[in-house]
Amino acid sequence: MSFLVTWLDQRTGLPTQIKTFLTEDVPGGASYWYVFGSATLFAMILQYVTGIFLTFYYSPSSATAWESTKYINEHVPLGWFVLSLHYWGATAMIALLLMHLLQVLIWGSYKAPREIMWVIGILMLVFTLVLGLTGYLLPWDMNAYFASQVAINIASSVPIVGGPTQQLLSGGAGMGTLTINRFHGLHVWAMPALLALLVTWHLVVFRHNGSAGPPVDTDLKKLPQGRFWPNQMFMDALASFLVFIVMVVLAAVAPPPLDVKADPTQTFIAYPAWYFLALYGLLRIAGGLPDSVIPIANLMATVIIPGGFVTLLILLPWIDRNPSRALRRRPWILGLTAISVVVAVGLSVFSQLAIVREQQEAGQAKPAAIASAPADAGRALQSGAKVYAANCAACHGADGQGKPGTFPPLAGNADITGDPSKVVQIVLDGLNNMPMTVSGANYKGVMPAWKGTLTNSDVANVVSYIRSSWGNEATPVAPADVAKVKK
Amino acid sequence: MTAHAQAYLDPGTPEEQSRRQFLANATLAIGGVIGLVVAVPCVAALIPESLVKPNAAGGPVWAPLTPAELSSLRSGTDTPVKIDINFKYQDGYLPPSDAERLVWGVKLTPEQVATFQKKRPDLFKPTAKVDYPAITLNFVLFSSICPHLGCKFDWVSGAKRFICPCHGSQFDVVGAKLAGPAPRGLDPLPFREQDGKAEVTWIQYKSQTPDRIIVAYT
Repeated sequence: MSFLVTWLDQRTGLPTQIKTFLTEDVPGGASYWYVFGSATLFAMILQYVTGIFLTFYYSPSSATAWESTKYINEHVPLGWFVLSLHYWGATAMIALLLMHLLQVLIWGSYKAPREIMWVIGILMLVFTLVLGLTGYLLPWDMNAYFASQVAINIASSVPIVGGPTQQLLSGGAGMGTLTINRFHGLHVWAMPALLALLVTWHLVVFRHNGSAGPPVDTDLKKLPQGRFWPNQMFMDALASFLVFIVMVVLAAVAPPPLDVKADPTQTFIAYPAWYFLALYGLLRIAGGLPDSVIPIANLMATVIIPGGFVTLLILLPWIDRNPSRALRRRPWILGLTAISVVVAVGLSVFSQLAIVREQQEAGQAKPAAIASAPADAGRALQSGAKVYAANCAACHGADGQGKPGTFPPLAGNADITGDPSKVVQIVLDGLNNMPMTVSGANYKGVMPAWKGTLTNSDVANVVSYIRSSWGNEATPVAPADVAKVKK
Repeated sequence: MTAHAQAYLDPGTPEEQSRRQFLANATLAIGGVIGLVVAVPCVAALIPESLVKPNAAGGPVWAPLTPAELSSLRSGTDTPVKIDINFKYQDGYLPPSDAERLVWGVKLTPEQVATFQKKRPDLFKPTAKVDYPAITLNFVLFSSICPHLGCKFDWVSGAKRFICPCHGSQFDVVGAKLAGPAPRGLDPLPFREQDGKAEVTWIQYKSQTPDRIIVAYT
């Protein structure tokens, strides 16, 4: 083994570089406070890996985006899990990124000579948020469409540049297939490439400056030094591992729901990703002010406050003239940080509650409940497919084509995509000599009753399945709906 | 050791050294576990559905013959009839569409029906996995794909045989192989008639094998 290492080192120098990178001092000793940066990097790498495997199936066009996402959930072995990991990984990456930012802020590690690292970090935060925004659109379901519509409307409300910006983002006058292509290009190629470059630069500069160590004013070199490898790296690995476990559990039990395909003609109250709730909250407040104030309030909410905040963040190492790093000597910055966190969390909670209330008033299912009918679209449809194969395919065909003259087709059958309670009724009670015409052909209308054999959940899943397969596109059905029909 | 890495200058007590060794091993182990847990679903996601479930289509897809096609089949003499059939076809996540396939229909004379089993014993083997009667109602329908390397062959009326232009395989009117590199005779397609309506299933067979192996129903 060591022969191979020597061989490689003589020819590339890589083992020495890795060793130099790893055998670094951690002033003040290794600490769990420092794990957030590497945990963010871990989440980012996971996003890249799961993302690559998703690109083997996802197709960015309005005719195929939703369909290929559904295909990933239903037809790709463990595809639903890869997608779920990617979805929860996005939340993990942004949450860890914000914690990393807070830790660096509180520790005062952004001060000289680490100002450039801080600026790179803020840029990476912006790019990561862009990644979150662009990824959100790609499934092209109701929520993806309308949430992105809100985001583009926000951008378009900026004075002077708003109009062209909206067209630039949408790829046209309104949202459509070109929007998906644009967002896809950003999400899969442009942003990941830029982010990878910035991460590399961030790490190189980190090694140049050395670890900032604890928030004290003593000369870092005079502190006892800890070892980066293995002590700090073990803490980093353990923290990443804990994050990973939480991610895997969440991905397994709460995969992201896929709503019905985007239909611009409907009204739908979307919920933005949690990391945009605060921004959204600002907008809602602006919109609730007296009419005369709204234009300036919108400008404040869309450009001045967010833009100003990001600018302040970028310039922080130069605005903060306090040379001290000790916590007790920095009440202003710590106070402002605390207030910002409280305001951001408060705005987010306010936003979320307002959206939920609006959805309830509109009679729209709650965000969590869109998924609860069935609990997760992907796996419920898989279960529905199994129920179908075991009970229905013998007569109606594995492809829903039926047998001409004997068993009606389900594909392209208007009764199947129509009133869901009628479909549930037929599955539960069967049909006893009810002549019917389907797609121009006559059928005797004899079908067994399934209410003794299938549970409410099975009936819901199989009805959802036939309503969304073979070209059929209709809303899913929940076990609660089946129970209602039974009454 | 580089001068700035102060922490590494003092090797420490044997306990410290063994603790560091444990931490190093644990770090690598954690990396390995994470790598494995991520690799399993990712690699699984690479597997196409056709490998997991050979009949992703779920089985035979019956496509009807139009009355015109059926009557041209019925009125055929000893010349095979070329029929253009639209089969429902699902490509990945795209909506079901029609795939046009060429099918050769041969109407068999009574003598041909009588001698069919002798001329095409390969269609009557007990191991033949295709579940259809090899001859139905005096018709046999063949796939237009040559079992050698997948070219489309044609009926040459002068020679009274099917000839494939790619590598010269030749077949007689009931599809028995007469000459050329094809490993077997022409591949039949299941055909049935119900209430005056005739239907055929498209089957994609594996090429270059002497045995008839179904690859897909699309």
